[in-house]
Amino acid sequence: MPPTDSPPAFQAEGLTKKYGRRGKPALSDVNLTIPSGRVIGLVGPNGAGKSTLLHLACGLIEPTSGSLTVLGSRPAANASHLARVGFVAQNTPVYGAFTVAEHLKLGAKMNPAWDPPLAERRIGQVGLNPAQKAGQLSGGQRAQLALTIAAAKRPELLIFDEPAAALDPLARKGFLQNLTEFVLELGASAVLSSHLLGDIEQVCDYLIVLCDSRVQVAGDTRDLLARHARLVAPRGEFDRLPAGIEVISVEHSGAHSSAVVRTDSEPEALHCQAEPVTLEELVLGYMTRAAAVSVARTEAAVRGAQR
Amino acid sequence: MMWLSWRQFRIQALFGAGALAVIAVYMVSLGADIRDAYDAYQAKCEGSANCAEARSQFRGAYQNTLLFLAAGLALIPALIGTFWGAPLVARELENGTHRLVWNQSITRPRWLLSKILLIGLAAVIVTGAAAALLTWAARPFDEVVKEHFETFVFGARNIAPIGYAALAFTFGTVVGLLLRKTLPAMAVTLVVFLAFQFFFPNVVRPSLMPPVKATLPMTVEAINGAQNLGSIGGGSVIGGVKIPNAPDAWIAETSPLRTADGKTLSASKFNDCLDSPPKTGAGGTFGDTAVCLAQHNLHVDVQYHPSSRYWSFQWLETAIYLTLSGILTAFGLWRIRRRVS
Repeated sequence: MPPTDSPPAFQAEGLTKKYGRRGKPALSDVNLTIPSGRVIGLVGPNGAGKSTLLHLACGLIEPTSGSLTVLGSRPAANASHLARVGFVAQNTPVYGAFTVAEHLKLGAKMNPAWDPPLAERRIGQVGLNPAQKAGQLSGGQRAQLALTIAAAKRPELLIFDEPAAALDPLARKGFLQNLTEFVLELGASAVLSSHLLGDIEQVCDYLIVLCDSRVQVAGDTRDLLARHARLVAPRGEFDRLPAGIEVISVEHSGAHSSAVVRTDSEPEALHCQAEPVTLEELVLGYMTRAAAVSVARTEAAVRGAQR
Repeated sequence: MMWLSWRQFRIQALFGAGALAVIAVYMVSLGADIRDAYDAYQAKCEGSANCAEARSQFRGAYQNTLLFLAAGLALIPALIGTFWGAPLVARELENGTHRLVWNQSITRPRWLLSKILLIGLAAVIVTGAAAALLTWAARPFDEVVKEHFETFVFGARNIAPIGYAALAFTFGTVVGLLLRKTLPAMAVTLVVFLAFQFFFPNVVRPSLMPPVKATLPMTVEAINGAQNLGSIGGGSVIGGVKIPNAPDAWIAETSPLRTADGKTLSASKFNDCLDSPPKTGAGGTFGDTAVCLAQHNLHVDVQYHPSSRYWSFQWLETAIYLTLSGILTAFGLWRIRRRVS
């Protein structure tokens, strides 16, 4: 673990991003502090604002309002800050006309801390032919190349935007494994977005659930699991819960209801039947709630317009 | 960074070098031809009454070719802006590769500046070399014909094309940065730059320096020295007059034919002289018409630039284009830092 006085990997206050003047915010009022040294999973449905958040983090776009610091400084503030953050964009863009070796040369020429042995070893391990044009690589190979370029600059923070989205299940598994090894080897923090919880669960120890342009919940995965529980009780029972328990989502089946709740006390102290939640149930609970809020808000807007 | 700029530019550079080589071979052979023809013209002229005829023959032999070449040279900066400038940033944005390259340890303004410097230099070299070759090839012709200020000729000689190339390239780059799509950026660059190249010489160039004013009496001789009388739109106008003591001057503006009291000659009197002048048996370009008009005691007011100003105009125009190009570059660097993706 890095020393506790190192700046947070990522700190946002009131972070908002709108595309265009009248557009709906892609990200609204995000407040987050993420300690360094973590592998952070950013999960949410398509269009939730995950890419927007990551593009803000690596300085490709600027916030409409609010502030954001990455490793204690404005994203992409200068060349030395750029050197500290590695970014692998969605669909892992590479130059189609460049060979694999030329991509490594690009990395070497453009990054002062470039690690040639690391780059060459990785290329060899994943079986990439240095003389091959990047345009002829498969999706998985391209992702591996992009990952190698981002990692061999030896960043302190690696950001991946849907790195595994375009890969088949086998390639995805290998890629995520590689990614984990890299993060360990570099001693870096990493942020990884996905709309598939499985990917996140496999590699992350910190979770952010982003839905409908807002952060629904964020925290250490173990803490999150400890602080949430599934309650099963007769229908209507959830209207009378003790203080300190917040219902995230409820499902009704027959005479019984089942709810994902957040609690400040130990779940065992609850009077009704409490079970631990899985990460998937937890995330789905928050996503369901966000979707319901979103629908309600749209309906209210429609009613407002009709009036 | 230079490695990357060069690696991405090398195919276009090869194409540019190839085109320049073809241009050079052609220009050298054309220059040799023109020099031979010039010697022949000089030989015919010596102590002979056929000088005027030899001169017009020499002029006729190369005028169209050189005009065509000047137009071709005017296209080089436009093509550079379209094919080197417009795709420079737009293609990265279109392919998403900007997300790869802008996350290396080089800031976006430095990335853009390095590309603009390298490719801008290549643009200036290619255009400047082509212009130098054409200037050299056409030199004997230009010395005889003395049309340095003619719109196409002025823009296809000496240093002015360097400014055009710099502006076209930076303009294309900035359009690509703003439009983010390669094909629309190319189209906009081509059309807008060509429109600007029409606008500048016709509207801006004549007023780069305050013109000299003069009143020319329209004697029979002066009228016969002009190139045309009247116009499609009607009106008592004369075109292509020469200033007696400065025959090579660039006449920026010529007033209609005016009578002694400063009023424009009435259309009916002008047309009478044009259509049915009294027969006098006079010769010259306009014959009896010239005699008829001269009897009205006419003059024109002209505004002109003496030919000694030629290099001032070349430098001024180049400086203006380079300054505009610098402003566009500064804007591009500011813009790529602030608002992208």
